[in-house]
Amino acid sequence: MNRLPLEGIRVADFTWIGAGSFTTKLLADHGADVIKIESHGRMDSLRSSRPYQGGIPGINRSGYFADRNSSKRSVTLNMKTAEGQELARRLIATSDVVANNFTPGTMEKFGLGYEAVREIKQDIVYIAMSMQGASGPEHKYLGYGLTMGALTGLQFLSGLPDREPAGTGTNFSDHIPNPCHAAFAVLAALHHRRRTGEGQYIDLGQTEPTIALLGPTMAQFSANGDVAERSGNERLPLSPHGIYPCRGDDRWIAISAWDDRSWIALTTVLGNPSWSQGAEFSDAVGRWAGRAMIEAELAAATRDWDAETLMTTLQRAGVAAGVVRTAADIVDEDPQLRHRNHWVTLAHPEMGNTVYNAPPFRIEGAPQAPRFAAPLLGQHTDDVCADVFGLSQAEIAKLREAGALT
Amino acid sequence: MSNAPAADPVGAVAAAPSVGVSTSGASRTALAGIKVLDLSGLAGQYCGKQFADLGADVILVEPLAGSSVRRDGPFLDDKAHIEFSLPFTYFNAGKRGIALDLERSEGQRIFRRLARNADLVIETEKPGTMARRGIDYAALSAANPQLVMTSVTPFGQSGPYAQYVAEDIVALALGGLLYLGGYPDTPPTAAHGNQAYLAAAQFASVVSMMALFAVNSGRGQHIDVSIQECVVMGMETAIQFYDLEKTVRKRASGQPIMAGVGVFACADGEIYLMSGGIASTRFWENMVNWLIDEGIADARQLLESKWKSHDYLATGEAKEIFSGLFAPFAKKHTKVHLYQTGQSRRIPICPINTPRDILANRQLDHRGFFVQQHHTPSGQSLTVPGAPYKLSATPWRQARPAPRLGEHTTDILTELGYDLAAQAALLKSGAIN
Repeated sequence: MNRLPLEGIRVADFTWIGAGSFTTKLLADHGADVIKIESHGRMDSLRSSRPYQGGIPGINRSGYFADRNSSKRSVTLNMKTAEGQELARRLIATSDVVANNFTPGTMEKFGLGYEAVREIKQDIVYIAMSMQGASGPEHKYLGYGLTMGALTGLQFLSGLPDREPAGTGTNFSDHIPNPCHAAFAVLAALHHRRRTGEGQYIDLGQTEPTIALLGPTMAQFSANGDVAERSGNERLPLSPHGIYPCRGDDRWIAISAWDDRSWIALTTVLGNPSWSQGAEFSDAVGRWAGRAMIEAELAAATRDWDAETLMTTLQRAGVAAGVVRTAADIVDEDPQLRHRNHWVTLAHPEMGNTVYNAPPFRIEGAPQAPRFAAPLLGQHTDDVCADVFGLSQAEIAKLREAGALT
Repeated sequence: MSNAPAADPVGAVAAAPSVGVSTSGASRTALAGIKVLDLSGLAGQYCGKQFADLGADVILVEPLAGSSVRRDGPFLDDKAHIEFSLPFTYFNAGKRGIALDLERSEGQRIFRRLARNADLVIETEKPGTMARRGIDYAALSAANPQLVMTSVTPFGQSGPYAQYVAEDIVALALGGLLYLGGYPDTPPTAAHGNQAYLAAAQFASVVSMMALFAVNSGRGQHIDVSIQECVVMGMETAIQFYDLEKTVRKRASGQPIMAGVGVFACADGEIYLMSGGIASTRFWENMVNWLIDEGIADARQLLESKWKSHDYLATGEAKEIFSGLFAPFAKKHTKVHLYQTGQSRRIPICPINTPRDILANRQLDHRGFFVQQHHTPSGQSLTVPGAPYKLSATPWRQARPAPRLGEHTTDILTELGYDLAAQAALLKSGAIN
């Protein structure tokens, strides 16, 4: 494929902060013309979130914003002016998708609820990604990435049983479950529209995709009456399975060697220490029963190994093992990510060259994604006024004077 | 039901529907007519489910001994049996199933015939396995140039780790997310529920759908998904903190970041409170007034101006004072009470939900989120998550139950044109069960 799959699709992008911006980024990186609508009075608050290039704050310097807004164009439209609203409607008229992740009711206040948008563009695919869906007793509750982790069960279920719930240490739903589900739903709706000419409204409540992923755990309770408890890195009925210390400061390795073949390979690499040779450990049932001893002894045995050396040695023997990599490791050291050109350096007018993630998949022969760095606030206002709205320089200047483009 | 505006059931339909695809009636689905072959394990079966639930015809192709996911617990009624795996049952709802020995030439031939009419193949075999069997993308696309094939592997199809073996915890480790999880004084802890595998399945859905969308303008594609890279996408700001500020983010659970933020024990579990931090200026007063209204007079001191400072909120003194006032109050009330009362006062507070709480949540109930899924082998009806998105014109649908091992082998072979004698020969040869 010598072109990106979504070339020719335009998105009027009202999303901001986390999951919404990440959704439209997936579309933008793959060729869609995503036009992000902000204003100086109401800009994406991620623009004022750390980290900043060189540690120096600025609305065009946030790495958090940049990572979620690659390959998009930014226009500033003042939605408090009649002209700004009119331009938003004109943008929608040329768009295939309208996306937002506001609290229900916000787009309606701009006159841009689904019914109104449908009047402008009959076959629009309109996605609303609110916290908990478009209606219901808790649909206007306040929510953030971390409160979502708590609502979905992921926080309760992750961590140690005798400590407070830990979750993933990130706003996990924002980065994978919600953007992936939202993008899939939009693409499926675009597919349907292509076949039938019919657009539609998509209501995604941001707690629901993560709960959907936890289906087996939900059924464990609904069918068996069994509320899963936190189990740290233990996974029934596997042993050894966990995270073990290595040489150096806060260095660790993940090892899963619960089947007979892996267990023999692991103990061989470790020099067949006496604790591992008991007949009771010769099958998976015995290893699970004896896991307290196995886990403790293995943690003692890995302590003096260099994590990279141990991983290489174990993998050569066919054992599932991986260094617990830090952000520095994966950016600077990981040879596999380097082989796949995962890190893409893009030039930004104010931040200079910074690192972006490539998508986590390769489409054979397709051009590089992401396509270009995140936009400055309003960087493409004039371009969009010219190539989308067909305005002359004089008309643009007049709108700017009227305060519609700030 | 939601307030989602109902779509016009007819609409101004202009484009001609594809041949053989019904687009009328109540059973309309977005992906009707798309044929998917799902050969995958845990890193792909949710992808197949997403397609099935929006109307695609998905066939799960299992080895004769059954998918490895059938051996993963938890099990229904705690019965360790390949027809009672809850992950298998849930992730394969909506699919038909065929059991084939793809190591035998007869099995490979059947698969090639299936792929001739398919739009998408999802597979999670080790790099090289599909080629060895003569059913890799090159072989299949020669007969069906529009085919999209999505291969999901731990590290990708080539490169120094391509032949490395992994499990979920190993992919979480090498993808960097694991290092961010857990408590500073214990080893990093992995997320619950095979999130590395599921991340890969979700990205596989997105890219497969993109490639199918692009097929209209040309050929199909081979797509190479790396589970490790999918995990990297969940690193939040950690990559940018390192790239821009040379700071390496670490795990930090179990310790409050600042006053007004964090996990607090309550009468029946824990709640998460976020009244300080990024929300401090907006919600702090609401929080303090709540405590005052509850008769905690000492809470008035929290209105002093120093509490408006981020730096002060982060001090041990501030955390201790706040906790001394809020923790005893929280301890007296339930999760649901604190959630509903706090939210009605515009305070970002929420329960740390257990599966039990989630099944009882009134908002999810209003949304009709949970659905009943039939479990054929036991005859039971299971309550499981339903639509993760509500599409107004082509709704998510509750599809058929997960297939028993080989349940549709005969039907599918018959559709392919194998008559009784041919099927008997296949059975005799060991290519089918």
